[in-house]
Amino acid sequence: MFASERWWSPFREVSAVTVVHVDLTPHVAHEASASLWLDGNERARARKFEHPGARRRYVLCRAALRAILCERLGCDNGRLSFGEGEHGKPFALVDDTPAEISFNLSHGGGHGLIAIAPEGRVGVDVEERADRRDFDRLIEEVFTPNEQAELNGMRGRRRIALFYKFWTIKEALIKALGTGFSLHPATFEAPEAIRRGAPRSIFRFPHIPGTQWQVEYIGSERFAATIAYETVAYELLT
Amino acid sequence: MASTEDRVRQLIAENLEVDGKPVDASADASNSLSDLGVSSMDIVSFGRVISEEFGIRLTPECCADLNSIGQLIEFLEANAA
Repeated sequence: MFASERWWSPFREVSAVTVVHVDLTPHVAHEASASLWLDGNERARARKFEHPGARRRYVLCRAALRAILCERLGCDNGRLSFGEGEHGKPFALVDDTPAEISFNLSHGGGHGLIAIAPEGRVGVDVEERADRRDFDRLIEEVFTPNEQAELNGMRGRRRIALFYKFWTIKEALIKALGTGFSLHPATFEAPEAIRRGAPRSIFRFPHIPGTQWQVEYIGSERFAATIAYETVAYELLT
Repeated sequence: MASTEDRVRQLIAENLEVDGKPVDASADASNSLSDLGVSSMDIVSFGRVISEEFGIRLTPECCADLNSIGQLIEFLEANAA
């Protein structure tokens, strides 16, 4: 496949983590090409989506993920499959054996992000900054009192931007951990440094203090986004 | 009085959208909201809507552990006042 035919492109390198952007805007040829990468189970899953947009996001992201993993692992697409952890976090299998690679995928609106790491758990979240009627409800549900106070001290576009920044930090962390929302996001606080504008920060979940995570906000004008990755393994190597 | 299933499907129709279009509230009960294309943010928010309607506390962890619309209906029938 020529680079010009791809709907994904390098977005950011953060330490050992590679982040790839996936263009999810409607594109008939890309969607047709992407469908060819999927296995039978993935095609069945794709058919279940009633909304064309939801189906498109799934197909384009999954095919891009397959292409990237095949390149990184040096395997043919037919040898690659996926398993799922306890809370549904997928992992890669080559010839039915877990592959030594970590990845995570997120999509929001017209943008997907795929984070790939050689080892250690990784999580990514991307969100388009849409105005919503239910900000107050979500703030009350998801954020700690300190986070709520910071959000409620803002108005207008600054509040919307901060909301999505905080949300992506939280979701990237629970995705990295592998629990998703099975861990209530109000049981931990996003690192204060990154909340106050630092691009990155170290984080530990209160209930797992022995594991250290690097959190980096990688948002742009187009979207809010954060990656979180386990750092202990890397530190031991250096 | 409407059944729990009818109330849940009514709330889905009234509150959930994908790309600005309403979610198919008549979808098979074996589908999860994610299967229908609903975002994680909308699922968390919908948990609060359900909580208010049924007078229970449906937290994000509960929502994450309920893997289908059918499981959500069963949970509400077993736990709602």
